[in-house]
Amino acid sequence: MTSMERRDRPLWMLIPGAILLAVVILAPLALVSYMSLTDLDQYTLRHWTLAPFIGLGNYVEALLQAPLLSSIWISVSTAALVCVISLPIGVTAALAMQNRFPARGLVRSLFLIPYVLPAFAVGAMWRTILKPDAIVNGVLGQLGLPAPLWLNGPASYWVLVAVEAWSAWPFVYLLTLAALQSITKDVHEAAAIDGALGWAKLTRVILPQIAGSVALSMVISFLHSVNNFSVPYVLFSLPAPASVQVLPLLTYAQSFQSFRFGLSAATAVASLIIVAIPLLVYLRALRLDVGERR
Amino acid sequence: MGRRRFRGLTALVLAVVAAVSACGPAQPGTRTLQVIVSVNGSYPTQQKQWFAYIAEKFKQRTGADLAFDTFSSTSDVLTRMQTSVISNQGPDVFEIGTTFTPTAFSTGAFTTLTDQDWAKVGGKQRFRPATLGLSGPAGREIAVPETSLPYVLVYNKELFARAGIDHPADSWDGLLTQAKQLTKGGVYGLDVAYGDTGDTWKLVRNMTLQLGNPLVQGKNVTLDDPRTVAAYRMLYSFRGTGVVDPATVGWNNSQALAAFAAGKAAMMLGTSGLSQNTLDNSAVAGKYAYATMPTIPPGHATLPSGGVPATSILSGNNLVVADYSINQDLAFDYIDLVTSEAEQEHLFDVFGVLPANAAATAKVTAGRADLGPILASGQGSVGTPFNGAWADVQLQLSNVTVQLIPQLARGRVTDAQITDQLQAAQKIAADAVARAR
Repeated sequence: MTSMERRDRPLWMLIPGAILLAVVILAPLALVSYMSLTDLDQYTLRHWTLAPFIGLGNYVEALLQAPLLSSIWISVSTAALVCVISLPIGVTAALAMQNRFPARGLVRSLFLIPYVLPAFAVGAMWRTILKPDAIVNGVLGQLGLPAPLWLNGPASYWVLVAVEAWSAWPFVYLLTLAALQSITKDVHEAAAIDGALGWAKLTRVILPQIAGSVALSMVISFLHSVNNFSVPYVLFSLPAPASVQVLPLLTYAQSFQSFRFGLSAATAVASLIIVAIPLLVYLRALRLDVGERR
Repeated sequence: MGRRRFRGLTALVLAVVAAVSACGPAQPGTRTLQVIVSVNGSYPTQQKQWFAYIAEKFKQRTGADLAFDTFSSTSDVLTRMQTSVISNQGPDVFEIGTTFTPTAFSTGAFTTLTDQDWAKVGGKQRFRPATLGLSGPAGREIAVPETSLPYVLVYNKELFARAGIDHPADSWDGLLTQAKQLTKGGVYGLDVAYGDTGDTWKLVRNMTLQLGNPLVQGKNVTLDDPRTVAAYRMLYSFRGTGVVDPATVGWNNSQALAAFAAGKAAMMLGTSGLSQNTLDNSAVAGKYAYATMPTIPPGHATLPSGGVPATSILSGNNLVVADYSINQDLAFDYIDLVTSEAEQEHLFDVFGVLPANAAATAKVTAGRADLGPILASGQGSVGTPFNGAWADVQLQLSNVTVQLIPQLARGRVTDAQITDQLQAAQKIAADAVARAR
């Protein structure tokens, strides 16, 4: 595209989108950033615009006193594990669903159930199943196995990972399946002509073709997991066991149980920055942010 | 775009705008009072019927409509309150729990009751003195008591008689001894909802008061006091001695009540009059009775010097009027109506909640010996400190048990583990109290 063509582009048509972006994203972000610099709590809520300005006080408290770093670690590690678990399951399921077989439509639909269930329902279902005197421990007891505590203590972290992975893998499956279906017949034929079959075809032809979609599904799954509030909230309620106090739970507790809205805003902003930096680097490396493949 | 199509689109936009406008808050002159109340999980159908019933009464009385909304948790109502406080619009009247009233007060968003306001709702003398304990600081009250729900102990008379025990003990040590005697044949002596964050702190608070530790007094916070350790030690000893079902570590209050109702436990701590409906339709119907919870603290045979014989926290519901409300008079009309003698009796008949209205209380409890312990517990209730930081203190007290559930599940919680948790709780609670205004 020449520089002349660039100048002639009707950029004014982006104005509605820019306004929407400003109203929906930038304005709340600016507001929460301002809140994070004030001592906004239950005592100043009534006249919130007059809440005392305390600079970086909330950030210092969030980093040094509140369990922010521990929550970031729990959130990020949980999300990473969810991605690691979801990836092979989702990709394998998509590959298995690629070829026609009887009742394929039904199986495809069934695979989507964990994803389409509301997060609240997912949490409530697993909480019911994993309670100390519920079905899982009942079965373990009948088999003569010890019945651990699932919703508190060391196992609770792994329960969170497992439940989130359970509801996350169908998304990976869905994007992978869409990518597989976009591979044209020509590619398959070319692979066959070149003698690439079976494992060689999968690793050298198919996977490179779907890598972008799979990577995108990983990024979205990671972000979704980091921001997932409903599942840990319903599974563990508040106050949550320390081992599963993820960022959304910490932010919620600071806001709606301790009424420290300023501190909670600082926690949200700090965690956004901490999570966004590696994410932006990753997006840039994969060039997912510009929508082009290297 | 054709003219016809353009007109159709314009009509659609106008219709959407009109519909959205109709969803907004009531405008001045529409005479609709918006009231938000806690959802009644025990009596959902009756609550809906009561909404219609009281709306009709209110219409007859004032000519205005009542619009009810419900919330399911403290977090839920706080979210609504926060939105309303900032936007200056929302419900005119909030029904809030007694322990939440200090938090509501600290926002400064509710009408401070003048003498004239009190007169509009029948005067303070209309209410039992005990129920006024968490209305607000003297002369700056914001809350009118609506109902009283003191916590009590419920026990299985048949199992007690079989074990040769007359009545639940009045000391915690005695209660533990009785629970051991009653634990046999697949039935546990006691039922405690360890997994219910709303339950355990109330029991601990009773015990610490009985030991002479108020937890918060002015700016002084004593969560890490040895008397608090003693209270938690007692609470956890029920699990340690095997008098409760091991599964109670994951139970909430409803599950604990269900176990008692099924005859699987001889006693249950921390229930209220609301449990009557469940129990009257269960395996223990006609076999149960209420009693006040022990008032003699752990490790003692009599109340020690400085101890307060607290039977329960001051529990129930209050009504507060939002100061942004343009329907102040209607709001007080509503409060006057629901706290009147007749309507308080009706509330008792429908929901089993003890009236805050003194005359109604006398009427509904006359000749009802079974309600005596509930009334006694109400009279012996001690309010939580009227401090804006109390919610944080309460959260920390609950959190101690949440973090110790794994040890409790194994059956042994040491003093060192309790102390560790309490020291962390002390720091957070002290910071919150120091910030309180």
